[in-house]
Amino acid sequence: MEDIELKNIWHEYDKKIEEAKILNLQSWVVNLQTFEHLQSQKAKSKLNALSTWKKWMIFMGIIWIAFLIFLIFNSLEFSKIFFVTSAGAIAIFNIIAVAMYIKHTILINEIDNSESLIETQKKLAALQTSTLKVVRILFLQSPFYTTFWWSPQMIAADPVAFWLISVPVTVFFIFLSGWLYKNISYKNAHKKWFKILFSSKEWTSVTKAMKYLNEIDEFKKEMQ
Amino acid sequence: MYTQQENDRFLKLINENTGIIIKICNSYCYNESDRKDLAQEIIFQLWKSNNNFNSDFKFSTWMYRIALNVAISFYRKGKKKLDSITALTEAHINIEDNTADAADTEERGILLQRQIADLEELDRAVILLYFEEKSYKEIAEIIGITETNVGTKVSRIKEKLKQKLNNQKLTGWKI
Repeated sequence: MEDIELKNIWHEYDKKIEEAKILNLQSWVVNLQTFEHLQSQKAKSKLNALSTWKKWMIFMGIIWIAFLIFLIFNSLEFSKIFFVTSAGAIAIFNIIAVAMYIKHTILINEIDNSESLIETQKKLAALQTSTLKVVRILFLQSPFYTTFWWSPQMIAADPVAFWLISVPVTVFFIFLSGWLYKNISYKNAHKKWFKILFSSKEWTSVTKAMKYLNEIDEFKKEMQ
Repeated sequence: MYTQQENDRFLKLINENTGIIIKICNSYCYNESDRKDLAQEIIFQLWKSNNNFNSDFKFSTWMYRIALNVAISFYRKGKKKLDSITALTEAHINIEDNTADAADTEERGILLQRQIADLEELDRAVILLYFEEKSYKEIAEIIGITETNVGTKVSRIKEKLKQKLNNQKLTGWKI
């Protein structure tokens, strides 16, 4: 089969489809001229759904941070030093997460379909996977959930249990959260541990977007 | 809100480029209702971007970028590929022209469209632009890769399509 034959098949078929007048674009253009229609289309956009979800997470995050700050200010005494430190660290990680969500909602509004396909598609896929970046940050707070209940009195009362159980558990969480922070990336989306960790339904669109990011990287590579 | 003059300009723009929009819709979804939704979404995005046209690019480059970006995103929302292909066959097999040659052309067309539908979204955009007689330079600008890369990709995709169509030819263009 020659190139010209391939093009001829396309053009012949294309002509037939156009002749069939399957689409009546004119009527939609008329529809688009009403503001209400523009608004309803805007509401339908998937990106707007993503933006709404992120705004909801920002709202919830702010409430959680405010609650943590309230607890900290009501616990400022030496016997609760571990609680205050842990809650403070958790609040900082949540502030970072909220800031990231705010940044993402701004980026959603900056998506420009008139950029090249690679640029726009990569930005869109990256936005869909951005939740994962926040999850990476939030994993870093996990060691502090193992320390907030420590107290100087507890350590003095049973130092053996503290050093042989509590400290190793915290050290384990430090290494685990550090490792997860370093390795949770779309480059590792194909690995078994990653698939197990993000196997639930709510992660499907994120993992699909990650796969797509890999496909875009592959597509961009110069072929020989 | 746009002025009447802007509305008229936009209408003219759409009328002049209906073909581009239809071809992109046909390449990314073949189910009639999906196609209508996609066309509407493309027109909406063109409408939204109407005042932001960057004169550094050719008008067709700008339009193809928007239309293809919208089409790929729409396709990725989870429209089922197999359903679409089935619908394509059913929707277009009834186009009125019953001569043997026309039927043969149509079957080959459907088979080509089916092979294109099997390609990855970005490969599909490359071959669509190639079939639309776009230069490698313009394809590179629309897609965002180098001209050399466009050339290599076009050759590989064409070979893949030819091979599949040749196999179909041997079996008598059966859909």
